[in-house]
Amino acid sequence: MGEEIIKKSQVVVIGAGPAGLCAAIEARKAGATVLVLDENDRPGGQLFKQIHKFFGSGKHWAGLRGFRIGENLLKEAGQLGVKILLNAEVYGIFDDMTVGYIRNGVEKAIKGERIIIATGGIENALPFPGGTLPGVMGAGGVQTMVNIHRVLPGKKILMVGSGNVGVIVSYQLMQAGAEVVGIVEAAGRVRAYEVHLNKIKRAGVPIYTSHVVKEAIGKDEVEGAIIARVDDNLNIIEGSEKHLDVDCLCIAVGLNPQIELPYIAGCKFSYIPERGGYIPVFDENMETSVKGIYVAGDVAGIEEASIAMEEGRLAGIACAGSLGLYDKETEEKLKKEVKKILRAMRTKHDSRIIHSLTGIPSNDRFEKGPVAVIECKEEIPCNPCESACVFGAIKVGEPITNPPVLFEEKCTGCGRCIPKCPGMAIFLIHKNYTDKTSLIKFPYEYLPVPEKGGLVSCVNRNGEIISRGRIIDIKASKKDDGTKIIAMEIPKEYFNDVRGIQIRGDGI
Amino acid sequence: MSHEKNVCICRCEEVTEGEILRAIEEGARTVKGIKIRTQATMGLCQGRTCRRLIVNILSKHVDINDISKLEIGIRVPVRTIKIKNFIYDEGKGYE
Ligand SMILES: Cc1cc2nc3c(=O)[nH]c(=O)nc-3n(C[C@H](O)[C@H](O)[C@H](O)COP(=O)(O)OP(=O)(O)OC[C@H]3O[C@@H](n4cnc5c(N)ncnc54)[C@H](O)[C@@H]3O)c2cc1C
Ligand code: FES
Repeated sequence: MGEEIIKKSQVVVIGAGPAGLCAAIEARKAGATVLVLDENDRPGGQLFKQIHKFFGSGKHWAGLRGFRIGENLLKEAGQLGVKILLNAEVYGIFDDMTVGYIRNGVEKAIKGERIIIATGGIENALPFPGGTLPGVMGAGGVQTMVNIHRVLPGKKILMVGSGNVGVIVSYQLMQAGAEVVGIVEAAGRVRAYEVHLNKIKRAGVPIYTSHVVKEAIGKDEVEGAIIARVDDNLNIIEGSEKHLDVDCLCIAVGLNPQIELPYIAGCKFSYIPERGGYIPVFDENMETSVKGIYVAGDVAGIEEASIAMEEGRLAGIACAGSLGLYDKETEEKLKKEVKKILRAMRTKHDSRIIHSLTGIPSNDRFEKGPVAVIECKEEIPCNPCESACVFGAIKVGEPITNPPVLFEEKCTGCGRCIPKCPGMAIFLIHKNYTDKTSLIKFPYEYLPVPEKGGLVSCVNRNGEIISRGRIIDIKASKKDDGTKIIAMEIPKEYFNDVRGIQIRGDGI
Repeated sequence: MSHEKNVCICRCEEVTEGEILRAIEEGARTVKGIKIRTQATMGLCQGRTCRRLIVNILSKHVDINDISKLEIGIRVPVRTIKIKNFIYDEGKGYE
């Protein structure tokens, strides 16, 4: 470490994603000196690529777009006086709790009394013939290109992997103007949350479950792909091959924790495939087997930003406590609050219990006037719809994974809940708009926006065109951050089937 | 999950699945065993892409639960950085 005098900080946080930022905020709140190091030229980690609205509880700014959550965290960190060093690539952690990093081509070091590793995850690679052709890309790279640099990686995309990442990135690609030719999933069912899946189904994207990419073809770059059906043991069924005309394959087959730093710091690991593979063992304070070294976020098991934030908070509070900045009682009280939220978010969360639809009005209620229709029946840790309704007609309650229940007699049909649902799963339906027609209001985030008064093709939940509709009104409120509310008149017989319009279809 | 033996596993060092399977046949039981036979994980990315794929292939032959038995080969520096960044010059400082 040369002749330079090594600087010190009570807490050193590695990674400025949601986990790292929250850890830094909590440690700083308690009065610790905190330095955050991140290799990127902007902080926020994964959040800055996320242009979709997030699930979660009101407390985590759910319903906000990912990058806005990042902006809020940054602001809070800044106000508290957290120091964030960008373009700082951490290359090692040494025995005496020194963190070595490179910044602007210069090797530097900082010593921390506590170190919080919040390095996030790294994408899994997928080997297949042709997998090294230009045009085969990871979903993270695609997101960086599309959402940050505004460059399309291709015009016709095949998404490989149907988890939340695959489905969300498909949606973002379509928003950016690309065609998603299909989603391939080796498992027998889609892995993503149903509401995310429904968004792209409405756009008519074919989903190939029990299928794999057999080969990417092309001479100098991707010119097509061959997919094939697989049996239960993932062996390709001969003769089931299908050629798809694509120019880009986007690989979204999961992430694994970036464990290099905890590994060289000497942490113990366990192998938990559902959380992404090798994971540093940590205790209820997020402290690893190496004293003074903590982990938080995706590096401690691939989950979600909402969970990464709480884990970060927990690590930050625990660090501050162990540095003597909190008395025992305060520390325990603060930790208890965070743990309660973590528990609620994880409740039954993995078991994917499917409920009957509790958000659908009765036939009688449809007759009486406009009413909200909430097509959300999975256990998702998400509740912005609850607070969106000022009439108390929507209840999620606790745990936050409950599917929303609609109290139809309280619903006035105001439609305020529509843009608040991050899953875009709330519609407003006025069955008896006229004698022959119904009115449906739905959220819309594609361009171009249809014209008021124009005739459009209406699609059902599977993206099939089933009728024509007339655009009555378009509401674009700044509050809704880009989500437009379209009111459309449709033939009455389809009130229960039409759920959107053909994107960039005729009439638009 | 790949279906052909000439599928590329380590892109940096251009090592195929077939070569990795051959290394295992020859007795490799750890990531290091595969590395010294094939050079996989020794490329520019230092195994950040291929290490996990290699562990997956190994999992069919050895118990991979205990990472410490896999000689997984993660060491400082964990990122690709230039040697010149470590050279200290009395007059100019680093570089
Ligand atoms: C497409 C997509 C959609 C998602 N949607 C949602 C959603 O709707 N709701 C939700 O809750 N979650 C969502 N997530 C998940 C969420 O983004 C992650 O769980 C979360 O970002 C993890 O936070 P983190 O702080 O652990 O890691 P990250 O956000 O990955 O941040 C880690 C940071 O550490 C830096 N770093 C790593 N190693 C080093 C090093 N050696 N030196 C310096 N810096 C380093 C990285 O560059 C990065 O900036 C989504 C993820 C993706 C990919
Ligand atoms: S892919 Fe093997 S070292 Fe980079």
